[in-house]
Amino acid sequence: MVEAVKFYGKTGGKWIMKLRISMVIMAFLLFLAGTTMAFADEIIGDFVDKINPFEKLELGGYFKNETSLGLRGTSKEFMKINNIFDVKANYVFNDSVEFFTELKTWYDATYDVEGRFRDLSHKEKNIKLRMPIKTEWLRECYFDVYTSKLDLRLGKQQVVWGTTDGVRILDMINPLDYREWTLKPYSESRIPLWMFKAETELTMNSHVQLLLIPDYEPNYYAPAGSPFALRTVVIGAQAAANPYVNITTINEAPERKLENTKIGLRWRNILESGPLSGLEYTLNYLHTYSFASSAYKRVVFPQVTLTRRAEQIDVFGFSFAKSITKGLIGNFGKGWTIRGEFAYTKGGAMNYGTDKTIEGTVDTDQYNYALGFDKNLVDNWAISFQFIQLIADAKDKFSDGYTLLFGPTRGPLDKIETMATCKISTSFMHERVKPELLIIYGDDNDWRISPKVNFEVNDNWLLTAGLHIFEGKETQLNGQFDDNDQVFLEAKYSW
Amino acid sequence: MKRMVLLFGMLFFALGVFAQGLEYGELYFPKDGMSADAIMRIVYHNKYSLFAQDYKLPDCQILYVDKSGFTRKKEAIRERIVKAGENGLSYKDLVVVTYPTQAKGLAILTWTYEDSAKDQDTWLWIPSLKKIRKISASEGDDAFMGSDFTVEEVSTRGFEDETYKLVGEENFKGYTFEHTKELKFESKPCFVIECTPVKPHWYYSKRKVWVDKETGGNIFDEYYDKNGKVFKTRFIEWVWYEPDTKRYPIQLNLECKDLRTGHRTVILNKDMSYDTELDERRFTIRMLERSKW
Repeated sequence: MVEAVKFYGKTGGKWIMKLRISMVIMAFLLFLAGTTMAFADEIIGDFVDKINPFEKLELGGYFKNETSLGLRGTSKEFMKINNIFDVKANYVFNDSVEFFTELKTWYDATYDVEGRFRDLSHKEKNIKLRMPIKTEWLRECYFDVYTSKLDLRLGKQQVVWGTTDGVRILDMINPLDYREWTLKPYSESRIPLWMFKAETELTMNSHVQLLLIPDYEPNYYAPAGSPFALRTVVIGAQAAANPYVNITTINEAPERKLENTKIGLRWRNILESGPLSGLEYTLNYLHTYSFASSAYKRVVFPQVTLTRRAEQIDVFGFSFAKSITKGLIGNFGKGWTIRGEFAYTKGGAMNYGTDKTIEGTVDTDQYNYALGFDKNLVDNWAISFQFIQLIADAKDKFSDGYTLLFGPTRGPLDKIETMATCKISTSFMHERVKPELLIIYGDDNDWRISPKVNFEVNDNWLLTAGLHIFEGKETQLNGQFDDNDQVFLEAKYSW
Repeated sequence: MKRMVLLFGMLFFALGVFAQGLEYGELYFPKDGMSADAIMRIVYHNKYSLFAQDYKLPDCQILYVDKSGFTRKKEAIRERIVKAGENGLSYKDLVVVTYPTQAKGLAILTWTYEDSAKDQDTWLWIPSLKKIRKISASEGDDAFMGSDFTVEEVSTRGFEDETYKLVGEENFKGYTFEHTKELKFESKPCFVIECTPVKPHWYYSKRKVWVDKETGGNIFDEYYDKNGKVFKTRFIEWVWYEPDTKRYPIQLNLECKDLRTGHRTVILNKDMSYDTELDERRFTIRMLERSKW
């Protein structure tokens, strides 16, 4: 009992109460899902089909609740009570022309329920966190034109390059929403852009893709005070609160002008014959603007002027993926898929200085690569391993005692940052139960461990429960969220 | 002398064709007096529709039924183009899941090679990632899409994976297709063949197959465990597809039962068509990227 009191401390009663509330929510969702088990037919889907007056209009969507509860530190509170409504519609004009749109809106009740968010400003709470940003409700909206040798897609969309999972090496077309760090799948956190995409055929398995992107959005970051505010954002907010300095921030984002149009080119080929048959490879080029702006600081005490500039960068890269379909020697290696990608980014810039303190900005090229290895093991078990290195090369020298600074944490950045990921997954009960364990490791002993399990209640209901555990130094990617360990539950009804 | 050379040449050519199996685009049927090997070659030829140029299945329903009767459903579109050995490829396959919504859009492109020692090449369009992933071939004994069918039963098992013994010929006793409670194929004349897997310690020790003499289709399988006990049965309703002047044997309905758990999987195929001159472009990853869901 004494131990329990120590553990819970003064906030123990509050913690237990919140735990109970979350248990009630979970129980309610489970009850709701359970009661629909008897109805194998899709109730809402069937209803929508009946009222849909257009034969060529296909509708689908989902309701989803995402609830997470902090487990330690000062965050033994709800970190998310998010309710999402998503609708997709596809209209087929004819065999060659289609229109697709996805609308999504959400309300996260956490920022009203939890008192600790009381101090967030109206803008931060209502615009940056709780409500969709700008036209975020319009997730995707585009026309497709198909011909036998050319596919065109015009509108708001996301385009993905590369072969790695959860790591952005070549996947640089769309910015990301980091308001929940990287806990959401990239398909949900990528910010779609208005663009023109053309994919043309050279030979049966060889294609060239051209992207013209007049649109620009920066990455979205959670404001200071919210659960997944980056350390660099928190440091910036603390500095801004200093009464002895006056900070002015200038954002230099590229205007929506023709000359600022971003251009992407990808050549993709798959070998159909020979010993390397099945080998898929790409060559990529992207002329774009950095989604994470570089900070240029000018100090004339007490005035500090911070210019945030989206640098124009050029990305040159390639990717490949090959399954070893026949053993290299005997059966050695058979069944493994090897994939990788490399990107050389020219024209970027990074801050240098000491931990938390920006001393200056230096032009920096980056060489990033990842290698992945996947295999299906026995009895539906699968393993996926990735090795990643991010190499920063400052073009100008700066004084000893300073290092490049890690963008998200404003902590010292190694010249070579090494990371590894490992995902183990399986399924039981005819794929109704799907457990999965994701481990992300960064050198400097930085960790994220995320076990989860999906349970398919019936054709419509999917429940997910899991944990996110962060470990490491505050200067590292996941370590900065060391106090954000959380348990989460999701209930999704698709129709 | 020239005749002798020609004769030997033709003999070697004939042996070569025989060793490699049956010819693409041709129909074969089992006949009395054939060996177990010859009959099973025909079974596999029919299983993968190698008699046709292409195959289109716009409506495939997969029902997962547990012991209590609780049922989940998946729906998919399946297409196949037979490459007939071009570049070493046997055929290309495309499966697109259309139901339930949470799996809708999942698309699997598979290249199957003639070389039986070579795994398939597989690409997956994953809607939740909005990207294509090259994936490793599943193990043959893995469940196919979580069903009672294994991966090898649906897509990878070939003639070379088992040895065969003709047990006899008999009129099939009939199978009650649980989905409709109909008794099917009663008194159908069949070859009975015992198949033993080449792989040691495989998930079955042997299976007994009833091959329909008329269509050359394996209408019923019994799977035996290492203790010689039947643990699983598989029924396939082979029927004739007869548009115009053609007559192809096709799989209409399938049912696989796990006798240990009482779970069964039913596959209902509707509106199949063959030789519709499918464009090979449909079997490229460009097509996978057209997916929106």
